[in-house]
Amino acid sequence: MLHYILFHQREIGEATLEHIWLVGISILIAVAVGIPLGILMTRKPRLRTAILGSANIIQTIPSLALFGFLLPAPWLGARAERIAIVTLALYSLLPIVRNTYTGIMGVDPAVREAAEGMGLTNGQLLFQVELPLAASFIMAGVRTATVISIGVATIAAAIGAGGLGEFIFRGLAMVNNQLILAGALPAALLALGSDLSLGWVEAGLTPPHV
Amino acid sequence: MIFKKLAAPIVCALIVCSSCMPQHHDRIVVASKNFTEQAILGEILAQYIEYRTKVPVERRFYLAGTYVCHQALLAGRADVYPEYTGTALTAILEEKPSGNEANVFQRVKSEYAQRFKLDVMPSLGFNNTFAVIIRGEDARRLHIHTLSEAGKYSPQWRAAFGYEFMERPDGYAGLARVYNLHFAQPPKAMDLGLLYRAIKDHQVDLIVGNSTDGLIQALNLVVLQDDRHYFPPYDAVPIVRQDTIRRFPLLKTALDDLAGKISEDEMRKMNYAVDGERRDTPVVAREFLKSKGLLQ
Repeated sequence: MLHYILFHQREIGEATLEHIWLVGISILIAVAVGIPLGILMTRKPRLRTAILGSANIIQTIPSLALFGFLLPAPWLGARAERIAIVTLALYSLLPIVRNTYTGIMGVDPAVREAAEGMGLTNGQLLFQVELPLAASFIMAGVRTATVISIGVATIAAAIGAGGLGEFIFRGLAMVNNQLILAGALPAALLALGSDLSLGWVEAGLTPPHV
Repeated sequence: MIFKKLAAPIVCALIVCSSCMPQHHDRIVVASKNFTEQAILGEILAQYIEYRTKVPVERRFYLAGTYVCHQALLAGRADVYPEYTGTALTAILEEKPSGNEANVFQRVKSEYAQRFKLDVMPSLGFNNTFAVIIRGEDARRLHIHTLSEAGKYSPQWRAAFGYEFMERPDGYAGLARVYNLHFAQPPKAMDLGLLYRAIKDHQVDLIVGNSTDGLIQALNLVVLQDDRHYFPPYDAVPIVRQDTIRRFPLLKTALDDLAGKISEDEMRKMNYAVDGERRDTPVVAREFLKSKGLLQ
């Protein structure tokens, strides 16, 4: 097995980079969309059910079906990577949105009152009090989203987006366990590694007194 | 404050990354479906197109089935992929499985050109029909060679097919009607690669694979004859986008060169080299092209 991985290390390395690229971009998009949505929910409680509901529904669609739905989409369909990135970003929304909301709502009301008493504007309250206090929660959401995405991204090979999933599908076609492992092992290591390193970031963001 | 500081780099990173996504006007993308023969054919097309046109070729293999490949060509994600005439007729054009080799080819060619602006190139030279497969030991014990003979034993058997075969007009429903097949349990649908594993491990007793599959021989399996001619012809043909041919006229020459070059036996041997002997697909493809004098 080790011999096999060493023999194909260049191919595996390239696929791993592709995998990281797909997951990285999609998480960036999910963060850029998800955190503002989470904040919006704390400001406009009426939107809460709509936003969380949609994120929840997306989560229940099987990934292969979602990839399939987007195949004929106009601009998206022009490149398989675009479909993969949008799908992964959609899956990442729920943990990020929910954790942003929970993190901000979890800020001690006394702290918020004190800040308002000091005359902080809504924007100052958000950026100087609520978000720093909620940062570790939000990071936990990003961490969950990343680990899920690394798994789902292996399916993206089914529509030609590349990544480590290609080894898995190739191994299935050839009835070759070594090939399947050549895709599955690096993907598992990638998930473990990013979980660990994002865990450190999360610990660093936890306010000292909590 | 930390979030304000983060926002700008995130937005920048997004813009940079979306702009550096490679555009595909300067290369040809070859796709294939998710089984070994398709990967070998894809590799043969890719290597020969690269050699003949000098245009860089990108490979997108192991796509999840006919629909995904067809969509990839329509959307321009891919330019060429190997298809089978009978599959194009039934799965894409959704017509009844009928007609002889020439009829089916002509019908598919004209419909593809009209409806999808896709060119169906001349056959690569072999017909890869569906193969209804049982274990060699069962075939010898029961003395059966044909599908008609298999009908009466089917109630003792469990069956498994690929997902596509369950749904296609030339798939399970019609086969069961024509040969009066009734299995012990409703047939299982599974990934193509897992079919051979399942029959080898006695999880099922009958599978439907492809007649050129290398594993048939490798696992000592037997193909039952389609003695009532249920399946239409499935000649292997490259399908290509018309606008790609306009951009790279040599692509048509390259695909024409490959016409009639692969016999059924040669295809089966290549499949066996990959599935049975665990050899690398690109190497098998290169050796084949060299043996035919197409590559130096």
